[in-house]
Amino acid sequence: MADEVRRLSDELARDPGSRVFVPLGEALRRQGQLDLALKVTLRGLERHPHFADGHDLLARISVDRDDLERAFDEWDMVLRLAPGHLGALRGMGFVCFQQGRLAEAEEYLSAAAQGDDDEQVASALEHVRAARREVAELPRDPSRLPAGTTHDPRYLFADVLSDAEQTALLLDRDGLVLAGAYVAWDGRDVGQEVGAELSGVTDAARRATRHLALGEWTSIVFETEVAVVAMTPSTNDGLLVLATSRATPLGLVRRLLDRCAERARRWQGGRI
Amino acid sequence: MSARPFAAILDSLTRQRWVTAALVVSERDGIVVESNLQIGQSGDRVAALAGSLYRKARLSARAAGLGAVSFMQLEAPGGRICAVGGGDLVLVVVAEPAVNVGLVRVELLRAVGELLAVGGEVA
Amino acid sequence: MQMTVVEAWIEGPLKRFVVDAGAELALLLHPSGQVLAQHGFARAVDVMSACALAAGIHASSAELGRQLDGRPFRGLHHTGRTRQIFLAEAQSPRGAFIFLTVFGPESSLGLVRLYFEELVNGLAAAAPPVDATAGPALAEHFERDLNRNLAVLFGRA
Repeated sequence: MADEVRRLSDELARDPGSRVFVPLGEALRRQGQLDLALKVTLRGLERHPHFADGHDLLARISVDRDDLERAFDEWDMVLRLAPGHLGALRGMGFVCFQQGRLAEAEEYLSAAAQGDDDEQVASALEHVRAARREVAELPRDPSRLPAGTTHDPRYLFADVLSDAEQTALLLDRDGLVLAGAYVAWDGRDVGQEVGAELSGVTDAARRATRHLALGEWTSIVFETEVAVVAMTPSTNDGLLVLATSRATPLGLVRRLLDRCAERARRWQGGRI
Repeated sequence: MSARPFAAILDSLTRQRWVTAALVVSERDGIVVESNLQIGQSGDRVAALAGSLYRKARLSARAAGLGAVSFMQLEAPGGRICAVGGGDLVLVVVAEPAVNVGLVRVELLRAVGELLAVGGEVA
Repeated sequence: MQMTVVEAWIEGPLKRFVVDAGAELALLLHPSGQVLAQHGFARAVDVMSACALAAGIHASSAELGRQLDGRPFRGLHHTGRTRQIFLAEAQSPRGAFIFLTVFGPESSLGLVRLYFEELVNGLAAAAPPVDATAGPALAEHFERDLNRNLAVLFGRA
């Protein structure tokens, strides 16, 4: 392996414009020399920005560096440059699975399986399908409760939200959950984790509106790969976070946020 | 390379009614790359604050397992800040409260590809 | 990490800067290298080294600016792998100071510059009249004053 790296390095040194940076980067990646592999690949891509295999390699290095977001972007680029690229389809399937986007993972892996009878792809596809079946059998969102059950604060927003892919959380000024739940794709309530991370955005929002003389912020909405997240300040410096599926129209997100905020105000005011 | 590589993007955004500023900002540094501003507006200030807000939203969403952020909007009584990211660049719009956010959002998302393409050349 | 100041009027504006800009380290000094305030440093020897380096870098970059551009460079920014350094001159009614800060990925150059402007304004507003405080160190008193200021900052005065 060391000989191969030396040989490929010499070749690249002789001809810096060649595409040998891909096998060299791959050899370095396999040796675990990720920083060096990244450097070689980025340099190669500067000269060959439209070389799909270069982006494919960069995606694999990114996975090894636990940077799934970048891996996703790179494989996405590969599929634009070379639609049907098997490495990218497999890679996208992997990233989506890791992110809990099982339907998309199945789509990518199915496409990969059609172009390749690789056993690993077939096995990954079966694994994803099994995970989807498992999720389908899980008890539904605990925020969907029998009507009138509001004693447990986890279910505060149950009757305000209109489908199982909507979830809301009320956080106190320290980012701790007061009410509501955030249910992950596998049925776990990850409200505390999600709330703690998202509550940090409010400091930046407060700072921006103060310095730009816009008044106190009233809402933030951001669309992510897996959800639309909307936030609004609540009583006593608290924060209300609403998450919906990406399919939810933004106007409806706003209305749901207003309804949840009103529900939170009433609850915090002891009127529920 | 043009001295104002993002001029077309920024012009199309500032043509929208109630939009008061459009900027391309370096997300990491929070500094202006290029801007269309009204007289009296501080591009440096908007870039630092909006860039930081977008970055915080992006990192928080990622840490919370929500994946990459595409569009972000902040609303306040005095106006709105909308942003999209492309590579290390963030395209920011500041607007009056009356702005048609749907239209701004469409324009911003349409501009992402161009932002990535021109941003790559600029970098 | 505690903030310590040689003169009380510096504390308010500097504290605001540290919180708003998310700075990890901050140092305000006289161009002679005499320290006036610090945040985030654990040892006097580190403050002493940072002051000497900051004063030296500021003097040489000012001279470089004069030679190249006919006027001194007032600010300097360096990006490291994870942390960044910002060094700039802060004009105040009490003369020029040098300000050095180190910040991480939670902050940005834009934010640091924004809050540096506010720091300069804050210092200008908080500064007592010139004759009410001690003047800058004379060369012959430099070492004595430097040691006195370090002792104040690190609680050995």
